[in-house]
Amino acid sequence: MTDCGCEKAKAELEEYLDRELNEADFQDVSDHLDNCDSCTSEHLVALALKLKVKQACRETAPEELRSAILSKLADA
Amino acid sequence: MTALLSTQPDAVISELELLLMTTDKVEQNAAAAAADDKRRLFEEQALPYMDQLFGAAMRMTRNPSDAADLVQETFVKAFQAFEQFQQGTNLKAWLYRIQTNTFINIYRKNQRNPYQGTIDELEDWQLGGAESITQSVSTRSAEAEAIDHLPDSAVKDALQSIPEDFRFAVYFADVEGFSYQEIADIMKTPVGTVMSRLHRGRRMLRELLADYARDRTPGMSASSRSKK
Repeated sequence: MTDCGCEKAKAELEEYLDRELNEADFQDVSDHLDNCDSCTSEHLVALALKLKVKQACRETAPEELRSAILSKLADA
Repeated sequence: MTALLSTQPDAVISELELLLMTTDKVEQNAAAAAADDKRRLFEEQALPYMDQLFGAAMRMTRNPSDAADLVQETFVKAFQAFEQFQQGTNLKAWLYRIQTNTFINIYRKNQRNPYQGTIDELEDWQLGGAESITQSVSTRSAEAEAIDHLPDSAVKDALQSIPEDFRFAVYFADVEGFSYQEIADIMKTPVGTVMSRLHRGRRMLRELLADYARDRTPGMSASSRSKK
């Protein structure tokens, strides 16, 4: 268990959120979050925002788009 | 064959012509079949991304009719270039790259955005944004909860109001789950630029949504923003 401290965790929180850290760094930040309420709460805001954006932007294409595309491809 | 040649040369020539014509036809049929195969493969592999591409197109063009046009154009271009797509590589990212290019070529010309091109160089303080370092744990918990309860329309409006490059980076990362490298390929920028756009885009979004939540919840005034 290595606690990397708030400074490193804060700097890498976004990459942690996006799963862009390598395994060792990911573990470091993860271990730090286990012990630090402040960084955890910051992470949870970022996570809430990420999930909210994903959920809010879900769209279904209009029914007629599929047939419009298919007919365009038939002519292409 | 030699006997035939000496006795009925005309008949041989016409048979030869017939043979050539048939070969031609066979080749034509083969070409048509190959085109059908290509179309079938393309439809099977690419069309499932239609809803996702439409969602991205909505965030790009901001209205359903332009979004539908953009997606159509994307599929036509992708189909025409489908031979260049390497099977086994990331088709979704490839389609997004084509759509993003198409959008920039067709639509960005018509938009006026004085910040375009220079926005990456603006300092953080020029862009504004919440400084969250000084927030307390309870304030952040309240903020996370407020975000959870936001209506989708508020999130989409906020996303729509941040600069395009930031909006795209956030959309590609959060909605589509693309990696930084994939976003860099789609947006044709270095990974470092992607990270900075993501960071700034999210901060602006967070600020806008905190404002929205504060306006909706009188009791929360001043508590969700500590330092400006």
